[in-house]
Amino acid sequence: MTVILNKNIAHAIYLASKDKNHEEQSLVFKKVAQFLIKKRLLSKTKEILSFLNKIINEHEGRVVVKVSSVEKINEKIHREITQALAHRYKAKEIKIVENLDKKLLGGLKIEVNDEVIDLTIKNKIGKLQEHLTKSL
Amino acid sequence: MSNNTIVENLKREIENFSVQIKVEKIGKVLEVFDGIAKVSGLSDIKSSEMVIFPNGETGVALNLEEDAVGIIILGDFSKIKEGDEVKATGKILEIPVSDDILGRVVNAIGAPIDGKGAIKSSKTYPIEKVAPGVITRLSVDKPVATGIKVIDAIIPVGRGQRELIIGDRQTGKTALAIDAILNQKGENMICVYVSIGQKDSKLRKIEARLEDGGAMDYTVIVKASASEAASLSYIAPYTGVSIAEYFMDQGKDVLIIYDDLSKHAVAYREISLLLRRPPGREAYPGDVFYLHSRLLERACRRNEKYGGGSITAFPIIETQAGDISAYIPTNVISITDGQIFLETDLFYKGIRPAVNVGSSVSRVGSSAQIKAMKKVAGTLKLDLAQFRELEAFSQFGSDLDDATKRQLERGKRAVEVLKQLQYAPVRTEHQVVTLYALTHGFMDDIAIEKIKEFEQGLTEYSEHNAKIFYKQILDKKMWDDKGEEELKKVIEDFKSNFTR
Repeated sequence: MTVILNKNIAHAIYLASKDKNHEEQSLVFKKVAQFLIKKRLLSKTKEILSFLNKIINEHEGRVVVKVSSVEKINEKIHREITQALAHRYKAKEIKIVENLDKKLLGGLKIEVNDEVIDLTIKNKIGKLQEHLTKSL
Repeated sequence: MSNNTIVENLKREIENFSVQIKVEKIGKVLEVFDGIAKVSGLSDIKSSEMVIFPNGETGVALNLEEDAVGIIILGDFSKIKEGDEVKATGKILEIPVSDDILGRVVNAIGAPIDGKGAIKSSKTYPIEKVAPGVITRLSVDKPVATGIKVIDAIIPVGRGQRELIIGDRQTGKTALAIDAILNQKGENMICVYVSIGQKDSKLRKIEARLEDGGAMDYTVIVKASASEAASLSYIAPYTGVSIAEYFMDQGKDVLIIYDDLSKHAVAYREISLLLRRPPGREAYPGDVFYLHSRLLERACRRNEKYGGGSITAFPIIETQAGDISAYIPTNVISITDGQIFLETDLFYKGIRPAVNVGSSVSRVGSSAQIKAMKKVAGTLKLDLAQFRELEAFSQFGSDLDDATKRQLERGKRAVEVLKQLQYAPVRTEHQVVTLYALTHGFMDDIAIEKIKEFEQGLTEYSEHNAKIFYKQILDKKMWDDKGEEELKKVIEDFKSNFTR
């Protein structure tokens, strides 16, 4: 028996509900729920939904960015990040999720999918430590 | 170093330091078990690329699947937890190398573990490399003097050869390899001993023995002991051969010993099964042949145009109940250029090293022998084979003709001469003298129990009295009529004294 991956289910849901009106969509979702019950996959709902989210974002050219910093970032930086990332990822829309973390000491950490641009003081200190222990 | 200079140094280093921030690829740990981590993300990762876990441990990506990457963790995996961030490095796993590594004991990732401080190194070598091609190679024609009579005479090993040492447990496989290392003193050879899945106590003993024999000056030990993770046992031989390649690239000759590849295959089987790769024969994965062939193919002799140097490999395989037709032994036999087959029966009969001359071969063979050795050892193998046959046959009756009797007596003496104590390598010149005396019948009337004594006396006596012969062997690797006359006279003189 072939295994049905969560990713494939999410993709199927996306294709089935795409370009449908409200009524048709609710019918699709009902069928999806029935399918999940039948295949005993209800416990995987969370993962399937996260995949679905990713697929929708990808198709609509939306990029979700997690920005971590010590303090809340101001309007100017927000705008600059949005512009730079929109250019880099050729995205139509940039959605920034902010995350405050005192342990970073300063600077910014930008995460997009599995890419990280770590501009924090913590990272720089770590690199300096590595450099010093290696060269001395 | 005074405090001030330390501070000054630190200051300078900090001032000159600049960080280069790059876009890094990260992944999240999905699950960790038995030294394996499944990680999501890491989209552009290469096969056998190095990754870094948050606690500083390194890992190697082995399984690249659709939505996860299977990573083997090199080191302690107990502190890695689900959700940890894993960073890709973009580099294939590599180890630091330098000349300072000589005389040291390092672990599977090249870090020192002998408590003698850090090894300074400015260079790194990848552990996986494609073996040198046909054009860069040279045929094997220079001998490796192992100092073990039966090997040097009957199963000669040349520089760049891969000679398998195979046998049951407790038959002296490691002893043979260690003797070979001990005999490389002054032979201009670097030795690498890779210990895979062995007991720490055994390795400690070997290290002490090498140190006593003054062999650590030109030896590196790579250790992945039985208590460490299977992933380290898996990469240890590749680390060893990378160190060997570093020295070969300087035009040096290197001898590498893999002790042993059966445990290596078992470690790889463990990893493969944990990574859910499909099992094949004896539950080994399908690429277990390639596992060893790509390793042993890196042993070679390179021609001068490409830098010279050589890597001679002595892989060791432990068989179960003498079964050399099991999966791993047959694989490695077919990869190597010959095998030295050790037998329990011979070992307990007191024939040590317990080499079964009939089933041992060296496919490179006599082209890796000096001319003098070729001359004296030429008929020895045949003599011994005939002796074995006659020995079995003669047990049924005592009425034998003179020729048969002579052959039997000669055979018994040959077996006696080829016996050798552990850690007592014999120089090539001495081997030539002894075998000359044997094959020319000078020992035929010496009592068998006196053969050892005769041999020892003869080598000492001849060294002082047959100077021309010895000089010819050392310089020209062959004697002429004058040298032979002298040797014959010396042997006769010694014999008349000995028998009196």
